[in-house]
Amino acid sequence: MDPATPGSPLPVVLSFDRGTLVLSGLDPGEIRSAFGPALWRWDDRVNAWRSEALHAPRAREILRRRFGARLRDEIPDPPRIAWPVFRLPPLRPDQAAAAAAWRAAEGRGQVIMPTGTGKTEVALALMAESATATLVVAPVRDLMYQWHRRILHGLGVDAGIVGDSLHDVRPVTVTTYDSAYIHAGELGDRFGLLIFDEAHHLPGPSYREAALSSTAPLRLALTATPERADGLHADLDRLVGPVVYRQGLPEAAGSTLADYDVVRIPVALTPREQALYEEAGRVVRRFLLSRREARPGYDGRDLCAESGRDPEARRALRAYHLRRSIEDRASEKLRVLEDLFRIHRGERTIVFAGTNAMALDVSRRFLVPTILSHTRKRERLAVLEGFSAGRFPVLVANRVLDEGVDLPAAKVAVVIGGQASTRQAQQRLGRILRKWGPARAVLYEVVTEETGEEECSRRRRRSDAYARTRHRRL
Amino acid sequence: MLTRELAIAAYERGRVFPDRLTRIAHARYVGYAERLLEIYRSGIGRTRRDLHRAAEAVFAGEPDCEIRRIRAFQKLLDDASVYEADQGGRTAALRLAVFGKAAAFHPLVARPDRFFENAEAAVKERIARELGRPWGEIEAGLYADVLDFQRLRSFQGYPSPEALLSRYNVAQVQACLYRAERVVVRAAADFKTILRYAKLARLLHDIRRLGPSEYRFEFTGPASILRETRRYGVHFARFVPALLACRDWRLEAAVRTPWGGRARLLLSDRDGLRGHLPPPAEFDSSVEEDFARRFGPERDGWTLLREGEIVHEGQAAFVPDFVLRRRDGAEALLEIVGFWTPEYLARKRDLYRRFRGRRILMAVPVRSIREGAEVPEGVLVYRAVLRPEAVLEALGRRCPSEVPER
Repeated sequence: MDPATPGSPLPVVLSFDRGTLVLSGLDPGEIRSAFGPALWRWDDRVNAWRSEALHAPRAREILRRRFGARLRDEIPDPPRIAWPVFRLPPLRPDQAAAAAAWRAAEGRGQVIMPTGTGKTEVALALMAESATATLVVAPVRDLMYQWHRRILHGLGVDAGIVGDSLHDVRPVTVTTYDSAYIHAGELGDRFGLLIFDEAHHLPGPSYREAALSSTAPLRLALTATPERADGLHADLDRLVGPVVYRQGLPEAAGSTLADYDVVRIPVALTPREQALYEEAGRVVRRFLLSRREARPGYDGRDLCAESGRDPEARRALRAYHLRRSIEDRASEKLRVLEDLFRIHRGERTIVFAGTNAMALDVSRRFLVPTILSHTRKRERLAVLEGFSAGRFPVLVANRVLDEGVDLPAAKVAVVIGGQASTRQAQQRLGRILRKWGPARAVLYEVVTEETGEEECSRRRRRSDAYARTRHRRL
Repeated sequence: MLTRELAIAAYERGRVFPDRLTRIAHARYVGYAERLLEIYRSGIGRTRRDLHRAAEAVFAGEPDCEIRRIRAFQKLLDDASVYEADQGGRTAALRLAVFGKAAAFHPLVARPDRFFENAEAAVKERIARELGRPWGEIEAGLYADVLDFQRLRSFQGYPSPEALLSRYNVAQVQACLYRAERVVVRAAADFKTILRYAKLARLLHDIRRLGPSEYRFEFTGPASILRETRRYGVHFARFVPALLACRDWRLEAAVRTPWGGRARLLLSDRDGLRGHLPPPAEFDSSVEEDFARRFGPERDGWTLLREGEIVHEGQAAFVPDFVLRRRDGAEALLEIVGFWTPEYLARKRDLYRRFRGRRILMAVPVRSIREGAEVPEGVLVYRAVLRPEAVLEALGRRCPSEVPER
């Protein structure tokens, strides 16, 4: 670097370096008086100041104001977008209120609305009026593709995709949290607006990098369930902005969401399954008992830890997994499913399986399509569209459809397996609770009797979404 | 490389020990590795699930083997395999065709009655007839593209059971580094390789000289100065195989433990880990090799040392080919341009200008100099061979000795 000649101060250069800002040409005194103590760190490795890309809007504004012509700002300005079409539905009053609140917060903040109330429409409307390069981050591929479809349909732009082994960055791009984390450095200086869907994922220690590493001034977080058990949701304020709009579940039920019933159907194991199940149980119990003679507190966690060192422990662990598998794939569930299909013939039905194996069992038995995590884009589209159009009566999904995937016309849902936490259950309900004619939606829960699955269902019923559970034996 | 979930490590008194299979404590594993390779070599046409089950069965009687270790072997074997891909989505097309035809008969019931007359077996027979294939074949192919059901097409394999075990050990070190926040390498040789691969792995360096021909490198990423982050763990992991091929180094990494604490990973060239990269070539060009041979280890009071010092400033670093040291402490750096292109020369010229203060002697072939061009100071022009005498003479001019040798 050339030494400064008296009378012509060094240029102040601000640039983006793989998820961070780099600033040169200022001495510590100038930095302190312009920014206060905390924003910039001296980086010996490159002889310049460094900061999180997140601070770009503030840093640029202050630098522009104080150093004017001396500033060389090398951070690219995100391109403006002219939308080829505008086919968005008008916003309902609650959606319009959410949009207005975000605008009033200068385009930074969280919108919290229950599943099924049209968060995506709010986001699309704000995207349309922001008219700047936009990155949408969604938790899973299904949702990423769904955003792609909605943007294409509503605004006429074929968005780039980063994820699902594709890497195509365009001014409007959709991606997953995983890919946004991996490519945070590269994506960081390309967008003016970030949209985080199901934003309760964002504060995780890795995923947050997508927000920290971006220079985007506009940020929108969408979720129905912002709270995290680890308390990290508090960080969303810094990563995205404050909560600008919050709508609770009770407010939405009845007006936008359909009314629903939850019906619990216990199934029994066949004698053969029962025998296997009990035998496996005996193996596990015998093992635990033998261990507890030596170590009174020995439990499942110890078993897992020990299975690496002891073939006997490994056998016990396998027996334990066999029990789980028997519960999950109980053949009686397929019989119950047949009955439910009979009852609801002509009504679009989604079956949620706990495992891929069970999803495939159902698909092969009834010849109905599946959406699994590895289902590719083309087939996924064909299946979802075929289902919406009524060409396929039933859709079997693994838990990938837990969150936010649109299945607008589903009327009946059957949960035949899988441990569901309260949030998952709530999100699942959201999928089928969409208003569709006058009739009520139904959620069936098929549970193996007197096994671990029952315990799980009981726990779930304690959450209010399941408050009206009824029991039925077919 | 392994996935994060397959990492096995023991944490003990502030240190982390990646899983390591050793010849003595794990002698049986050579036999297992042989059987694993045999399963895959003779497994062409079998499904991934079959192969994985067979691989798991190899370890059935082994007391010391946790499931992640088995999964890691499966991953390393799969990495050296090619599985049958679903060409042009044919399996998906078959599915859509079958499900489309079946939709009209929904629901397929086990026992038909007055209201529901579409028996499962009958509908499946009918679809099979329409598609002109037996139902058993259709059902077998219905989900042939699901990862578990893909069939092995070819297996490139590993050269020996020992090579597989050695790859496993390195893979566990790499997986451990996914959790690393920063990596420090102390080295006394092969600086060029270390810096080149760190740069390829997109790491930033901080270089400190510890003594003659001994350096400390701290490797980090751009954001590391702002907060501790594991974001560059995968870059460290990519760098490590190159380091394993080098001589005379020690590595210390700060690793985040699963429960949020920190532990140190210590490694060195004496740990016996072998990467799959060949050791760095000793000489970059025959001119260099030739010069080193002619010069010998010492001549006229100067010792010749290959790649013994680093000149650096910020993120620019440069390892001249040779360091010449005299007993009185005088030191000179020699860079030999052998094979060259115009771009290469331009880059060398820039480096030379940038590090003018370090007094580098640069030897360039006469063919690379335009006719009539002025040869700048510190540049030594040679014809076919670079003679030690010419270098010593140039050195004598630049470093006149305080006490004449003779």
